[in-house]
Amino acid sequence: MRKAFVGLIAATLFMFAFSFMLVPLYNVFCEVTGLNGKIYGPSDFFKSEQEIRERNVNIRFLSQVNESAPVTFYPSSESLEVVTDKVSKTSYVARNNTNKTLTLTIVPSVSPGLAAEQVKKIQCFCFEEQILAPYEEQEWPIRFYVDSELRGNVNDIYLSYTLFENNRETSMVMHHDS
Amino acid sequence: MSAVVESHDHHHGPKKGLLRWLFTTNHKDIGTLYLWFSFLMFLTGGAMAMGIRAELFEPGLQLMDPIRYNQLVTMHGLIMIFGGVMPAFVGLANWLIPMQIGAPDMALPRMNNLSFWLLPAAFTILLSTAFMEGGMPGFGWTFYAPLSTNYPNIAYFVFAIHIMGISSIMGSINVIVTIMNMRAPGLSLMKMPLFVWSWLITAYLLIAVMPVLAGAVTMLLMDAYFGTSFFDAAGGGDPVLFQHIFWFFGHPEVYIMILPAFGITSHIISTFSRKPLFGHSSMVYAMVSIAVLSFVVWAHHMFTVGMPLVAELFFMWATMLIAIPTGVKVFNWVATIFKGSITYETPMLFAIAFVVLFTIGGFSGLMLAITPADFQYHDTYFVVAHFHYVLVPGAVFSIMAAVYYWLPKWTGNMYDEKMGKLHFWLSFIGVNVTFFPQHFVGLAGMPRRYADYALQFAEWNAVSSIGAFLFGLSQLLFLYIIVKAVMAGKKATPEVWDGARGLEWTVDSPAPYHTFEVPPKITEQTKL
Repeated sequence: MRKAFVGLIAATLFMFAFSFMLVPLYNVFCEVTGLNGKIYGPSDFFKSEQEIRERNVNIRFLSQVNESAPVTFYPSSESLEVVTDKVSKTSYVARNNTNKTLTLTIVPSVSPGLAAEQVKKIQCFCFEEQILAPYEEQEWPIRFYVDSELRGNVNDIYLSYTLFENNRETSMVMHHDS
Repeated sequence: MSAVVESHDHHHGPKKGLLRWLFTTNHKDIGTLYLWFSFLMFLTGGAMAMGIRAELFEPGLQLMDPIRYNQLVTMHGLIMIFGGVMPAFVGLANWLIPMQIGAPDMALPRMNNLSFWLLPAAFTILLSTAFMEGGMPGFGWTFYAPLSTNYPNIAYFVFAIHIMGISSIMGSINVIVTIMNMRAPGLSLMKMPLFVWSWLITAYLLIAVMPVLAGAVTMLLMDAYFGTSFFDAAGGGDPVLFQHIFWFFGHPEVYIMILPAFGITSHIISTFSRKPLFGHSSMVYAMVSIAVLSFVVWAHHMFTVGMPLVAELFFMWATMLIAIPTGVKVFNWVATIFKGSITYETPMLFAIAFVVLFTIGGFSGLMLAITPADFQYHDTYFVVAHFHYVLVPGAVFSIMAAVYYWLPKWTGNMYDEKMGKLHFWLSFIGVNVTFFPQHFVGLAGMPRRYADYALQFAEWNAVSSIGAFLFGLSQLLFLYIIVKAVMAGKKATPEVWDGARGLEWTVDSPAPYHTFEVPPKITEQTKL
């Protein structure tokens, strides 16, 4: 009886630990399979000339501002026709609409998710935090290329950026006085 | 010498007064406490549902603002799941498992007391948010992050869930240890009654997934107050990860709420068909398969988050696979009824309604399992109709059936059969009038979790609300019937039901405070 009891307590503790293990497991799983459209860090890998198989791909740029942060944020061009394995350049524009200095994090996402691994970024404002002075407008360049390993059935790629304001006071305290 | 006399006195019966209930370690007392607590929660969650349906009676906002509405929806879900259905099943387990396996009590009686008394504490914490600035949680019972991490009073919610989880886990440990160690000699595992089997499997499921829920709410707490970013994309976290962790708990959880119902239904259908259950061991294997499969289907709750095709297909096929063991169970029940000498007492009516209506809920579940179709149904009232069909005329009807079936054993009095039948028919009509129209508005595109809706859904919502009021009010009749049977009524025989099988029918009605202090001998002749 004692043995069963101790065993079941151990199983409970294991499952609690397992729920936390799911976090790194999930990230490793996504990184290996590239399933969730995440991009992992800058890429500095170039191919030798003979490996290049040129192909045209249409890239569309999207922008979102999380929880209506007081920032205007948009791509300077909505879409770009790029050639695989050739480095392209475009930019996003961000403007601070307040009289305070804002610290921002911008998180990229690629759709379809399985193409995420082939979108190789060389320069991106999403690699580090960005700071905007009061009412400042900045143009943020990105340089990237699409690897020719891209699956044959993918001709359009959506590159989306969501802008988060760091250390934002929560805005959801609710009142019921009405 | 005096010690001997004292311990002798101790065995005669319960303590007097209210303290008896606070300190009791008797499985029957604790079972009773669980059942009354769950009934109280059932009425509380039901009152919230009445508020929801009153608001949805006609389009526009009449009674409350959308924030209050969201809070009612959230609390209705949490209370019905963690306060209504789960404690009711634990209460039944407490009453029945020792009596069905010929044990004198649960294996760990003091832990049993603690696991009950944690529940009122947890729900007091959860409900106390109603009186605070910021109010009750309003992010849905699934508390998707990062929506939930931005809510006020989330710490109360998290601690309440922690305490409920600890209570469930202790209850499950108790059930497993009892079943594994305290069966009467000769009662092998495969001879065990199906209610005991269903609880053994449920208890393992609980131990596997309640800690995962505890982990999920802990991460939520850390995201909200300790600056971590498990689920916050700005800090490198992933909101979709939350959904995976939640539903890894959430899907086994829905089977936790239905497996004991399978056990109950098997007993009742066998008794009132006056036949042994058809396919006892296939029932056991079916439940085990359902439990195992429940761990590999969770992402069918999140087909629309943007999973790759191969994952969508995997979860679709795995989900559909569950229809096979479930079908085995339904066919076994039908085969048990077939050519039986059937009588339709109230428990049997509820059990038959369970089989029919649960199967309807199962079929709408199959429709939802079809990935491309789910993109249409996702987050509509079709989903609401589906899970209410499996939970209300599923889990809740089975609990009602169990109460009517075993009440004479608990109280020693027969309940009022006429009133019981009236309660059944009102509930049966009420449930169907409430939830069947929700299939229609769901397929027509009415989304869940809004306080208001487009005009074209008005008629069916009005019908649905009327059904809900009927169902809700008829539960007061249920309360009246139970209280009446506790107070007085025709005396029940030990067997209670003609030809009932199982050890619990070999003891007196009402069951004495201590039963099976000497374990019964199980032979080939014992009717199980």
